[in-house]
Amino acid sequence: MNQIWNIFRKDARHHWPEIVASLALLAAFAWLDIHTWGLPNEVVAAGAFSFVLLFRILPGLVNVLLPLSWIFLIVRVVQGESLVGDRQFWVTRPYDWRLLLAAKTLFVVAFVNLPLFCMDMFLLAQAGFHPTHYLVGLLCMQLMWTLLMFLPAAAVASITRNIPQLLLGALLIALYMVGMAALSQVVPNSSFSGNGDESSGLLLIATAAAVVFVQYSRRRTALARWLIAGLCVALILVLLLTPYRSLIASEYPASKGDFPLQLALSSAENNKSNYFPGHYGVASITLPLSVSGIPKDSFLELDGMIVTLTNSAGLRWDSGWQFQARYLGTDVSVVEANFDMKQKIFDQFKSAPVNVHLLLAFTQYHDKNQRQFIVPSGEFNLPEVGRCSSKMEYGHALGCQVPLRRPTPLLITSETSASTCPITRVDTKPTPGHFARSISFGESEPAEMGISPVHQFDLYLSAWDWASHEPMSPGICPGTPLILSNPELIGRSRVELQHDNLSPTEYQQGSGKTIQ
Amino acid sequence: MTTAIHTFNLVKSFRKVDALKGLTLNVPEGAVYALVGPNGAGKTTAIKVLMNIIRASSGSAEVLGVASSRLRGLLLAAIGYVSENQQMPEWMTVGGLFDYLRPFYPAWDTKLEAQLIEQFDLPRNRKLRHVSRGMRMKAALASSLAYHPKLVVLDEPFTGLDPLVRDELIQGLLERAEESTIFVSSHDLGEIETFASHVAYLEAGQLRFAEELTSLTSRFREVELAFDVPPALPQPSPKNWLQVTASAAVVRFTECRFDPERTAFEIRTAFGEPRSITFSPMSLRSIFLVMAKSGRDSA
Repeated sequence: MNQIWNIFRKDARHHWPEIVASLALLAAFAWLDIHTWGLPNEVVAAGAFSFVLLFRILPGLVNVLLPLSWIFLIVRVVQGESLVGDRQFWVTRPYDWRLLLAAKTLFVVAFVNLPLFCMDMFLLAQAGFHPTHYLVGLLCMQLMWTLLMFLPAAAVASITRNIPQLLLGALLIALYMVGMAALSQVVPNSSFSGNGDESSGLLLIATAAAVVFVQYSRRRTALARWLIAGLCVALILVLLLTPYRSLIASEYPASKGDFPLQLALSSAENNKSNYFPGHYGVASITLPLSVSGIPKDSFLELDGMIVTLTNSAGLRWDSGWQFQARYLGTDVSVVEANFDMKQKIFDQFKSAPVNVHLLLAFTQYHDKNQRQFIVPSGEFNLPEVGRCSSKMEYGHALGCQVPLRRPTPLLITSETSASTCPITRVDTKPTPGHFARSISFGESEPAEMGISPVHQFDLYLSAWDWASHEPMSPGICPGTPLILSNPELIGRSRVELQHDNLSPTEYQQGSGKTIQ
Repeated sequence: MTTAIHTFNLVKSFRKVDALKGLTLNVPEGAVYALVGPNGAGKTTAIKVLMNIIRASSGSAEVLGVASSRLRGLLLAAIGYVSENQQMPEWMTVGGLFDYLRPFYPAWDTKLEAQLIEQFDLPRNRKLRHVSRGMRMKAALASSLAYHPKLVVLDEPFTGLDPLVRDELIQGLLERAEESTIFVSSHDLGEIETFASHVAYLEAGQLRFAEELTSLTSRFREVELAFDVPPALPQPSPKNWLQVTASAAVVRFTECRFDPERTAFEIRTAFGEPRSITFSPMSLRSIFLVMAKSGRDSA
């Protein structure tokens, strides 16, 4: 214990400028965060340059600099007793590696975790949330920062001799990440499936912990560096070898007779898509699907789909799993499935009718625990959300401050004709029987990773039935009745749909013209 | 006699280069043991293996009865280590260094610390980065002596130091020689000779000889033979004759197994009766130079 305290005091004395800088940035973050709460973007944008600088540029800068200052502090303190090389005075002194590691951990806890924790408590209190009610979430945030940021930073610091070496390492890591991002775009289905993300995260944490352990207990830098190289290779292998299609297939089993949905491909005339055409060299296709059979108090989410085109010459094209994220309620009659294909490939199919095979992945929810809520004027507590008030920015909405994470799962439904907002942005008054909704699926963990535990969260209502002729919702204003509910997952299924002799150009965005 | 350091067939390879090729060494307790050899001989490598700074490729090494590979933590509280190229915490003041190190050593002697600081004339309040190289070495040595180590390991401690500082360091060491074993590597043989009790000669990773200094200096002699006419040199000359040279009627060589009667007999056998025979004692430096030049096994 004596040794821990001795090393800790030495580090605190040596690194006080970095500590002060980090704490100053933390204080600046807290001040800016509090002063930007509820500040509408329109107000900031319309302000003088100094206003924009203070409330838009500076918070962005501090948001980046603060984590960097933590990483820098961790790197400096780890490299204070460098684990690389054989000339450091301390390696022949009676250091106990466990106590050295404990001293470094204590330093990080004292000058990074603890100040962040205190600031988070302060921000919660300032936002009107009792901090002691959110201790588990706050600790969860600390754990996420520690495992996902501080531990990897310590691992990299432990295998580098000094800051220039570390920067070189960081550059290599950045290049690797760019390469991985590019690779994930090429690997089919990988972006749709979340499978592999968890194992990759666990691999990262385990490797970082192993590197720190190896370096502190044995100072085997070569082995530690090989571990990191091994992690890089393992992540590539996870990306390349994960059987995404099989995993998705098992996650979305083929629908049976009891699946409450009838789907059919509508004619291209029903195509009223809000989907914007893709960029140069890409053909964007929208397939309107008529929907029926969704039971009351239920809704579905079209998570993704695979489109397979086959023409009479036997040419075949498969889109792989692509995200959709469209919601289907009882009031939805048409859902639009969108996909992009390379213009060159599209050109091979466009001249003749094609057979289309759709594989659609759905998640079914039970709209549970419905209760009414009339929006009060001024600031109010919205159950399960946080502190909210009406706001008018890009439309009438609720601006909310939520502690730790966005609400999950929460569905807010409002009959568009019941809105109390003035009708200024629509041509006609909405007719009864049409609904607008806002759905939130926040993180399932007790908190989202972030510096501040107070999240700004805007609730905008939108219609799920995009293809209807109904005017958009006037929004949420004081007096507007809302139905709050908690969607409960019922199950996932995949549905197959076959349509032959379809003319691709009719369904192409941009009136059937090639996008150039 | 118990040994402070014992190595057996110690090998250390860096990729394809063998820095140590089967080093076997015994350093008796209480000795002032000098490991000498030319640059690149493997002295620093040997010391780094002994101090568990690097790992041996094969063989074994024991320091104070403990396998050197297990030398860490509190075991190091009995060993003082100073190296010419050690990276010190230069942001610390000299006093700060002592304050920081003190709690690590259960046997730290504050009186001895004060005595060493005074003896070495160390400026307590100056940062290590702002003191001279000699002063840094003295600070490193003082901070390695203040806890009465059983073993003091010094790797080229005198390199680049002025004579005054060398004397101060040697004086400081000798005053503690009774309570410690001192293991020092150096190629500053003039200094080593003044205080070493044992000497080992390492060349190209191999130990050429290791013995007490008195024994070494007594068995090496510079021999000068004068003849009336230039003699023919014996081919081959005896193994214990090194650097045999002839200049007109004078033959010179270094005898590395000097024994007055035997050496004289060997000379007569090789040359007949010379006009005169002169045996001159050799300094350690001269012995080292002859060894380095001849590269022959004199053991």
